[in-house]
Amino acid sequence: MVQNRIDHKWGMVIDIDRCTGCNACVVACQAENNIPLNTEDRFRQRRAIQWIHIERYWEGEFPDVKARFIPILCQHCENAPCEPVCPVYATYHNNQGLNVQVYNRCVGTRYCANNCPYQVRFFNFWEPVWPESLRNQLNPDVSIRSRGIMEKCSFNVQRLRRAERIVEGQQGGRISDEDLSMGNFLPACVQSCSTSALVFGDFNDPNSKVSRMKEEHLHEGGRGYKLLDFLGTEPNVIYLSKVDPYATDAGDGHA
Amino acid sequence: MGITRRQFLRWTGVSALGAVVFNGCRIPEEELQIESPVNLPEDLVTGIDNWYATSCRQEPGCGVIIRVVEGRAKKVEGNPDFPVNRGKHSARSEAGLQTLYHPDRLQTPMFRADRNDDFLPISWDRAREILNAGMNSLSDRSRFLLVTEPLRGHLALLTSEFVQALGGRHMAFQSLEQINLHRAVKEVFGQDRLPDFDIENANYLFSFGADFLSTWLSPVRYAGGYGEFRQGDRKRGTHYQMDSRFSMTAANADKWVPVKPGGEGVLAMSMAYVIIRDGMGNADAAAALTDGQGPQALNAFAPDSAMVRDATGLDSGKIEDLAHSFADEGHQPSLAIGGGTAGAHRSGLFNLKAIYALNLLVDNIGKKGGVRFNPAPPLPELSREDVASVGMPASYREWQELAGSGSVDVLMVRGANPVYGLPPGADFARVVNEANFVIAFSSFMDETAGMANLVLPEYTYLEEWGDNVPSPGPSYQTLGIQQPVVRPFHEGTSSFGDELLTLGRELDLRLESRLEVTPDATMKDLIKAGVEKLWPENRGSVTAASFEGFWNGVLQRGGWWDTQATGDSGVAEIKPLDTAWDGSGLGDPGSGMFSLVPFLSNSIGDGQLAHLPWLQASPDPITTVVWHTWVEINSKVAEDMGIAEGDILEVSSGAGTLEAPAFPHPGVPPTTVSIPIGQGHTGMGRYAEGIGDYNYNTLSLLESTTDKDTGALAWAATKVRVKKADHGHSIDIPKFAGNQFAEEPHKGTIIKVTGPS
Repeated sequence: MVQNRIDHKWGMVIDIDRCTGCNACVVACQAENNIPLNTEDRFRQRRAIQWIHIERYWEGEFPDVKARFIPILCQHCENAPCEPVCPVYATYHNNQGLNVQVYNRCVGTRYCANNCPYQVRFFNFWEPVWPESLRNQLNPDVSIRSRGIMEKCSFNVQRLRRAERIVEGQQGGRISDEDLSMGNFLPACVQSCSTSALVFGDFNDPNSKVSRMKEEHLHEGGRGYKLLDFLGTEPNVIYLSKVDPYATDAGDGHA
Repeated sequence: MGITRRQFLRWTGVSALGAVVFNGCRIPEEELQIESPVNLPEDLVTGIDNWYATSCRQEPGCGVIIRVVEGRAKKVEGNPDFPVNRGKHSARSEAGLQTLYHPDRLQTPMFRADRNDDFLPISWDRAREILNAGMNSLSDRSRFLLVTEPLRGHLALLTSEFVQALGGRHMAFQSLEQINLHRAVKEVFGQDRLPDFDIENANYLFSFGADFLSTWLSPVRYAGGYGEFRQGDRKRGTHYQMDSRFSMTAANADKWVPVKPGGEGVLAMSMAYVIIRDGMGNADAAAALTDGQGPQALNAFAPDSAMVRDATGLDSGKIEDLAHSFADEGHQPSLAIGGGTAGAHRSGLFNLKAIYALNLLVDNIGKKGGVRFNPAPPLPELSREDVASVGMPASYREWQELAGSGSVDVLMVRGANPVYGLPPGADFARVVNEANFVIAFSSFMDETAGMANLVLPEYTYLEEWGDNVPSPGPSYQTLGIQQPVVRPFHEGTSSFGDELLTLGRELDLRLESRLEVTPDATMKDLIKAGVEKLWPENRGSVTAASFEGFWNGVLQRGGWWDTQATGDSGVAEIKPLDTAWDGSGLGDPGSGMFSLVPFLSNSIGDGQLAHLPWLQASPDPITTVVWHTWVEINSKVAEDMGIAEGDILEVSSGAGTLEAPAFPHPGVPPTTVSIPIGQGHTGMGRYAEGIGDYNYNTLSLLESTTDKDTGALAWAATKVRVKKADHGHSIDIPKFAGNQFAEEPHKGTIIKVTGPS
């Protein structure tokens, strides 16, 4: 394994002016991460699992109506409210900037999900089942979570570990943006996003695109913001605001 | 030290196979080293994954790479090299794996002599005997009909040769056919192929009814351009959506302009009038479009005329603003596209011709940010007229004529489901019932296969050879290759192309000599022979010293393309605008009536993908509804009618009646209702069949109105009566909204908006 691991701070910049709400990221995530099939009943019970999901907000009335989309996923907070409430340390912050869920430790108290202001933690209320033939698709790099286990976005840690192994372990050096995209190590949602609304990278690397975007946008008057910033969770996901030259009621979205 | 794609693939196992080494061929550094696992048992090495490039049939025109571990496909991603989608893909592509590993895939041929009996599984040898006997039972071979999806590339070539050699007929089926669009492109631009639209570099984008970010033509390509259009290294583009429905694309527009259904062409004509009247845009084009008469040729379309106001529902100031905005010099390049519901009316062709002619006025043809024409496919035989016609869907009028003709004795269907996909006025079930012998090539027991005598289970596209001539292409010659990325998952399946070749041999059709391949050729040989003709041209994305090197290079990159081989750079002859507007059947629907605006689902499309659980569970962007159909109705109208979300509505037209739950939202124009297409299956397996409480086939509501010129189905021209169902039932519509409820406590802080600066 990799000796002397390099500290990364993985994070994402999401430009909601690019996001069209197409849901490609949602399905890409489900394919990569062995997410149980969301049946009709799961939705009715409000227990569907989507590590990344698109929320849609309405503004105004016909004909001056707007619908706005925003992808929401685990914000990988530096001060994660989910972490201190876990009695068994199943969720913790690693030295790569990831909020990590250790499935083997989880005992299913669901405290973390209740404490997450972003509502991005999902509980397996049932044993996940697939018809036998569909199991052939399951990703061998990702464990299947059994009943009673909490799960959430991992930034595809399996791909990041492979990147570390290959780029840093075998070659030496630090994973660059180019390594991530050339080696298919980007999270599946980022890879699929046809408008490139999702950008992934290392905030510890000053040359990464996410660092440059943070520098450019995350300041007073810039488009950058963090979701529910006032809570002080210090997310590692930065959003760039929607641009609307015809906005009348800026920012007052409702469901 | 950075890694390159070349190295990435070495690590991911190709070098372990020792399969592909490049010598002497000019391959760029970002080369994909990809080779099919067929005949390579080393592919089963534990713990090593391989990525193979192929083409996607669920998102037509796209190139994908598939991750294969121990002989099983695990993940679909966009092929970063492929010119159409440039590394991106959609949820529809992703779900190809569920097609491959679907639990209800057909695994063995099935037969019944009497179509009232149950199917019995049989062997392939027996199936081929029965197939031959069925074909030989034809006393008149012109009474043979082959129905497929619109085909392109070598399968189109083979199909065309087969049908010609046999003396039978072929019809291509597409449920909401694009005939009007093809005709409009032909008449306005003089082009045989759909053009590429350079959304990425456009400044002002005017889309009339085209849901181009979701389902229209090549959404992954357009979305890729749209991201740059919004926040690329350029000034932010402006997008107006003139649409009778608040689609996902309309929701993304800077301004959604709700137009009355069918009035889109009148709006475009009125804009053209204003542009010409005010001396904006290209004067030569203006003269040609008006046949030298100037704006008075279009007087009927003056924005302040009652006809324009009635047809579009827009006041003259609005239309003047739109026209000025489109043609303003500072707004160039501007681009007009149109399709979807705009072309689905009695005057659908008129509408589309008017919309596309706007591009001539701003002179954007062949230019950055404009309309770019596509060249003929790289191999001359693929652009032969008979081959191109195999890719052109038959019009609804032709299906209607077929239903009443009793002209089919032997019917073969492949990749199409017309029993589900044709409205009741073109009763395809009648064609099936009147035929003596019905053969269905299919991976699933869909509605059409379920009525056949002989069902022949097919490979999925991840298991078979094929090619991909994208339509529309990326403005230069492109030939995508589809190679098997895994061995066939079920032994009892086969390739349609191979079976057609075998059948040709049995019937002594001499297809091989017509196709110039060896007598025992397979689909792979046919494609390889085509690619071999490209090699000596020594141009494009792959060049090599030997043909084997070239073939490997083409397979590894997912195809071949030549960015220099572009289409025409301009329009040879601009014809005068068609001013023969026929607004009959339009106008206000009347009390208690609504204009029905059906639409393709963002995930399951026209229902062809309804059997895939990832797509069924993918929320509709606007309503977030999953696994179900719904009726979109304006919130205020619903309130007045006492309708709440989930109330079952009875929707009736001249063609039929269905019941479905209401989904009121503020984005529905008050005189319209919208229903997605694609649910209500009575076949296709457990995830499509019999799901939901009130899931019916929306197409059953469509009346047999056709375009007056082309005979295309005017699928957005039906008017419906809507009322609460008498039984008063209400259901909890399955949807994503409400699974997460972050919005309520944090209202106003989730989506920040940067307003006008």
